[in-house]
Amino acid sequence: MRGAAVGSTLALLALGWAGLASPAALEAREPAPVIQARSGADAAQVAFLAGQYDEAISQYAAAAARNPSSAAPLRGLIAALREVGRYDDAIAAAERFNRANPDSPELWNSLGEVLRLRGRRTEAEAAFNRAITGRASDNLTARLNLALLRRDRGDLAEARRTFDSFIDVYNNGVTTGRLSSSDLAAVASAVRYLSVYNPQLAKDAVRAYQEAIAADPTNIDAQVELGQALLEGYAGSEARSTFEEILAKNERHPRALLGMAQTLHFESSPEVEEPARRSLEINPNLTPARAFLARLALEREDYEEARREAERALEIDSTSLDALAVLAGVHYLQGNTAAFEEVSRRTRALNPVATGLYVTLADLSARSRQYDDAVRFAQQGVALDSAAWRAWAHLGVNQLRLGEMAAGRRSLETAFRGDPFDVWTKNTLDLLDDLDLYPETATARFRIYAHEKESALLGPYVGELAEQAYDALARRYGYRPATPIRIEVFPNHADFSVRTVGLVGLGALGVSFGPVIAMDSPSAREMGQFHWGSTLWHELSHTFHLGMSDHRVPRWFTEGLAVHEERRSHPGWGDDIAPDFLAAYSGGRLRNLRDLNEGFVRPAYPEQIGYSYQQASLVFALIERDFGAQAILDMLALYRREGPNADVFRGVLDMDIDAFERRFEQYMRERFGRAMAALGEGGARGERAGPPAPPQPPSREEVARRARNADDFAAQLAMGHLLFAEERFDEAMPYLERAKELYPEYAGPQNPYRLLARIHQRKGAPRAAAAELRTLTRLAARHYDAHIELADVLETLGDTAGAAEALDAALYVNPFDANVHNRLAALYESLERWDGVIRERMAVLGLDPVDRAGALYRVALAHFRAGHVQDARSWVIRALEIAPAFEEAQGLLLEIAGRGPR
Amino acid sequence: MRFVVRAALVVAAAIALTAPAATAQTHMLVVVGLGGEARHDDAFHEWATSLVASAKERFNVPAANIRYLAGSPKYAAEAQGRSTREAVERALTEMAARAEPDAVIFIVLIGHGGDVGEPRLNLTGPDLTAGDLAIWLTRFGTQTIAVVNTASASGEWLQALSGERRIIITATRSSSERYETVFGRYFAQAFTADDADTDKNSRLSLLEAFEYARREVVRTYESDDKMLSEHALIDDDGDKKGSVEPSSEGDGVVAARIFLDHGPTRAFTLEGAANDPALAALVTKRDSLEREIAQLRTRRSSMETAAYEQQLERMLLELAVTTRQIRERGPR
Repeated sequence: MRGAAVGSTLALLALGWAGLASPAALEAREPAPVIQARSGADAAQVAFLAGQYDEAISQYAAAAARNPSSAAPLRGLIAALREVGRYDDAIAAAERFNRANPDSPELWNSLGEVLRLRGRRTEAEAAFNRAITGRASDNLTARLNLALLRRDRGDLAEARRTFDSFIDVYNNGVTTGRLSSSDLAAVASAVRYLSVYNPQLAKDAVRAYQEAIAADPTNIDAQVELGQALLEGYAGSEARSTFEEILAKNERHPRALLGMAQTLHFESSPEVEEPARRSLEINPNLTPARAFLARLALEREDYEEARREAERALEIDSTSLDALAVLAGVHYLQGNTAAFEEVSRRTRALNPVATGLYVTLADLSARSRQYDDAVRFAQQGVALDSAAWRAWAHLGVNQLRLGEMAAGRRSLETAFRGDPFDVWTKNTLDLLDDLDLYPETATARFRIYAHEKESALLGPYVGELAEQAYDALARRYGYRPATPIRIEVFPNHADFSVRTVGLVGLGALGVSFGPVIAMDSPSAREMGQFHWGSTLWHELSHTFHLGMSDHRVPRWFTEGLAVHEERRSHPGWGDDIAPDFLAAYSGGRLRNLRDLNEGFVRPAYPEQIGYSYQQASLVFALIERDFGAQAILDMLALYRREGPNADVFRGVLDMDIDAFERRFEQYMRERFGRAMAALGEGGARGERAGPPAPPQPPSREEVARRARNADDFAAQLAMGHLLFAEERFDEAMPYLERAKELYPEYAGPQNPYRLLARIHQRKGAPRAAAAELRTLTRLAARHYDAHIELADVLETLGDTAGAAEALDAALYVNPFDANVHNRLAALYESLERWDGVIRERMAVLGLDPVDRAGALYRVALAHFRAGHVQDARSWVIRALEIAPAFEEAQGLLLEIAGRGPR
Repeated sequence: MRFVVRAALVVAAAIALTAPAATAQTHMLVVVGLGGEARHDDAFHEWATSLVASAKERFNVPAANIRYLAGSPKYAAEAQGRSTREAVERALTEMAARAEPDAVIFIVLIGHGGDVGEPRLNLTGPDLTAGDLAIWLTRFGTQTIAVVNTASASGEWLQALSGERRIIITATRSSSERYETVFGRYFAQAFTADDADTDKNSRLSLLEAFEYARREVVRTYESDDKMLSEHALIDDDGDKKGSVEPSSEGDGVVAARIFLDHGPTRAFTLEGAANDPALAALVTKRDSLEREIAQLRTRRSSMETAAYEQQLERMLLELAVTTRQIRERGPR
């Protein structure tokens, strides 16, 4: 029911917005008003609309001086002063006018608006009341402003009553045709705030803004509000168009710049900060922009910057709820309880139902991986106001992250009823509908949910590895996370992405929320690109780190440590050290350790995030080498005590981070110095390094010339590939061997090991071939084909156990090939490893084979040979149920029956 | 899938009277169209020759009953000529003249299809159209006819050919599925694969071959991470509507009883045991038990699980004992 109702509503709304906001629909107001500068006021307005604020101020001031009893130029002057943040000057100008013209109500609303920007709420309220009682021409806007003030101080009922009255205003105004553009914008804003209680009104609000703009194409305020309304309605592209239109006419409009920044944030664009900063260049006192930047700083875990920005915002407007929410977030995330309580108290004093505070805190908590707190804050939000739909949404999503599936669904359904346009909520609810159908596989400490098509196959493998990982990590960390841990495996990457962030498009492979892990199935990725075993180990490592640090570990730390754990777990797990990473390192394109977290949360270029994983993982390799594993445990404990800003280098390693960085540089030189040198000048300069792709070398002569330099890794490798392609195997070998010597950890697609293995095979040296393939798979276990080739070679050598091990390793990359499972089952049979045989026969069954009866029979046979007679009986009956005439199965049934009754 | 197999078993008893008699001969025509590229010519030829070899060697279809018309001149000698429209008509005319009244006529079309004007298979010279084949098949007044069109855009052939005593299989569900198909590869493979005989009765029915191919097609597309662009259909109830998944009451019922091999190949049949009353009794008992098991399975949902399993196990054991007794008594 929900899907159908919402689907149609969304479609209608989307159409409505698209129609209203599209360039075609806006055509009526599209032609820029050509205003002839017939008077000073007109010239001032032209300058104002063009963003020439100083000029506008000067012109408006001159016009006001010429006609001191006219409110119009003063109103323009105040608007211009306000736009550049000269609030106090604007206030002074308005007050001068009001003193000089005590009978005129015309500037009281303008004065109230600026007073509100300075946080002078009481005075603003009085000013709005003066405008209303005096029946100023903008008294409707004053009524709206008064209602907004009431809303902001928590008087929701009174505010709602006032907003409601605007519907009558609109209906009467339409009849009489007496509503100005500003009036229509006021109606639009009132209806927009009412849409909290009736979501369908959001569309009416958009339409009313549109009418306001049509009535006066120069009403930029209405356009800015339209953009904001669209953004609130999750119509990002329409909002962007609206802000772009404003900026096309006035690239210096501070609030449009901020709106654009907020739209970019909505779109997860990395360029989000630039327009916000530009807005502040024009209006350094634009409080919402300060609060927005503070929020961005907090999201990237830059607490100091966040605090600075929030405090600057509060210097301008001490009642800014957004800035207070961010400041509270800073104190909360830094563990400064007293300050946090103080800011919370201050917020509640301003607005006892400030749900925004709790929504912000819930969001920030979740971003900092503190999902328990996110739930707690969201619960506080909905307790204050049951119509706080964002709080319900945060509550639901974070309950799901904690594995509270039923409660999470209920919360999201509540959120959805109130705000059916919230794409995050809708996506997540749709996903939950699918997830309900995922069968459960239970192990001692895990509950695994994979798609019904894959569950029978993946469940046992995931469960087995998860149990192994839990034991290994529990031994290492001396810590045992609460169980059961929920693992969700998605065959569709978009579903994983929605589970993680509510939207598609996430680049990650897996995520750990602590008690819940979600990850891509190997079927969600191109085969060979994804080592699901390594990913699972990585995510479970996070579960340990989060638990040990009480979720206070910073991202760089837990990510780096998780990669380090992958590498420690099995040879070849965890990404190998690639040439481009070494080039970036030697080229100085990595972050300093001091701001390594930035590489994760705000990478300077797309590849930097991947490099940051590598860099952070090597930090832990060094720490473990030089300080031992206990140091890592101590660091986690320090985070638990002191929060994510704890100086773990000083506190545990007894050295400052810069000293550690120097040691890290030395470590990198020791470990990769030769490889970096061999990557050539490009590598040293930080340009794209690594071997040239052998199939398209610059030219054979060029490669041959460069290969005369025995220390040029790329040339040695390329020459080896060239000669191999020419089947000059004996000549290729020395180049390939030399490439190996220079950069033994290179396991990329052009690695020398694979070719050397083939050459050895051709030369009848399978043991040497096996050695090459084994090295390769131990450097990078993602090489599925290399595992299979290794198994082939080892089988020819009679190394059944080795061949089985190679095939087993391949399954962590691709478990979907029935031939590999059958082959592995046969190998286990010859090794009499019956558990392995059963597992592999079950895997074939999980692949839903055409010959189901045959697969069931083979499971039965494996159990029988393992001595599990009753299991064998059960499975063989299932085989015969499908195929009663199956004579081999009949024979097994008779043999089982011969062992006696059940 | 289990449901499908069960359906076949249930139906086996129900339609025994309408299935071709055990002595029915199989007559086979394989037509390969133009490949357009060498890789297609080679693949089509490989599928065709695999089918022909299976028919001859595994299912004992007499060589005289098999015609293979090649699409590419390079394979014409290996086949019995090239696949022109005239050659196809001639082959069918001859087949109609030779086929026994209760014979199974098995026609396999391989190549690229289209629907310019009407559904067609691209041949050298005039194409073969569904309309042509519909007319020519009227020459088979009593025989059961199976047409398997493995070509792209073959879906519309089903409507043109569907009818009584007809099993029509197409690689695609409509003419708009125009991309090259892999159904033919797996349909041919079904006749060589050990695991296509899903009911393990040592015979491969047309339904089993269809199911094998259909599922392998899906698996191939999934493993290649491609969107499925061919949806095979089967129609054997003459309603001109194909089914992607056969059922116990509609499409698939007849195909479950159609085999390439002429007559039963199970080691022991009632006919084969005519001279041994004791063996005949065992065979009768076995056949009866198989029917009872099939019937029991239809009642499964209405029974207590424990009772069902107990009864099933008892019957399966009895069947296993009976089969062993037959094996011990009769010649192989």
